[in-house]
Amino acid sequence: MRKIMSLFSAVVLAALFITGCTKEPLNNLTNEESRIYITNRDSAVNFNSYTTFSISDSVGVIDNGDAYKSLNAVDQAYLNAVTKYMKQAGYTLVEKGQKPDLGINVSRIYQTSTGVMSYPDYWSYYGGYWDPYYWGYGGFGYGMPFYAYSVYSITEGALSIDLLDLKNVATNKDKIQLIWNGLIRGSGIFNEATADSQVKALFDQSAYLHK
Amino acid sequence: MKSVLKTSIIYLPLLFIFSFARAQQGEVKLELNYNYSLPLGGFKNNVISNGSARGFAGGLKYVLNDKIDLGIYTGFQDYYQKYPRTVYHSDGQDISAVLSNSIQTVPLLGKVMFNPMGDKKAMIQPYVSFAAGINMIFFSQYLGEFGSAQNSVSFMAQAGAGVQIPFSKWSRSGFQLGVNYNYVPYSKNGYDNLNSLGIHAGVHFPMR
Repeated sequence: MRKIMSLFSAVVLAALFITGCTKEPLNNLTNEESRIYITNRDSAVNFNSYTTFSISDSVGVIDNGDAYKSLNAVDQAYLNAVTKYMKQAGYTLVEKGQKPDLGINVSRIYQTSTGVMSYPDYWSYYGGYWDPYYWGYGGFGYGMPFYAYSVYSITEGALSIDLLDLKNVATNKDKIQLIWNGLIRGSGIFNEATADSQVKALFDQSAYLHK
Repeated sequence: MKSVLKTSIIYLPLLFIFSFARAQQGEVKLELNYNYSLPLGGFKNNVISNGSARGFAGGLKYVLNDKIDLGIYTGFQDYYQKYPRTVYHSDGQDISAVLSNSIQTVPLLGKVMFNPMGDKKAMIQPYVSFAAGINMIFFSQYLGEFGSAQNSVSFMAQAGAGVQIPFSKWSRSGFQLGVNYNYVPYSKNGYDNLNSLGIHAGVHFPMR
């Protein structure tokens, strides 16, 4: 009986030790550390060949398949930050009626399921979220020349910034090609106070993105 | 001639073992250790360089004779490291993230312990040990808060040395202090091993 009690005590002590002393990685992350910044680009594109850009006047909200436009203070902070860093990269902001070389769409994407978020999946309905008519190419479609995906495991959102080639629509078989995409995921996104630093991170890791 | 050689190979070690049989023969002891682990080699350079103060080891050992113990051991060690934000490049894609590696290991080993001074009632009893078995490995890797896990079982071999100090001259319980070198091949995700050096201290006592 004493043998059994000794063994039982040892097992209980070990179990307490295991549960109490394991470092849980997610508990050791700040909001800033929890975020990941992903950029994808069309490697065939020379970003130096573009001069002007225009940015959408609101943020697209893609919420589990539903889509609408939004322009609250947080949205405006992201639009301002993207404009700021595009200008710092040497591009000139123009009105969308002035035939900009580049168009920029900013989207908030909410997913309530878990798994792999495939860009082609979300991109396949892109024309429904962002009508090409907005960029002066009514009836045209969008094209995505590269495959990319993001793995997620929680039910929260992502902020996506899409850079569109408006200069070469005719040579791209009447498609508005996505040439660069920045994606922000993690805790504390959609935040007015940190919008600038989040967008800056995307541009900092895209040194090729300049005039 | 061949059969004599074969018989010698099989029975001489047993003769050697049983020649040391003494009063404690047949006793079963419980051993419990706190363990500090230092990753080595590829484990240290590529996965986790921090030492782990979160570990224990323990087991049951059968006292074959004064000089040799045979045992079954297990344990637990938790390794964790968070690396500063870095941009990871791949073809056409760049990901900036804080990388966290988290590994828990649970070995299950058969061990032989040799106590060269076991037949003398010295207050400090040195020992050497060799163990082999399996190591269950629970490996989680996080980019920011987004993680993936991979669990596997690997071969493990362990060589150790240390001292045992009885509570009193005639006590069959005591402290022990020692080091173990742990060889753990691990060929997943481009890594080559999870080798480590363990430093342990603990107690042992007979199971009555």
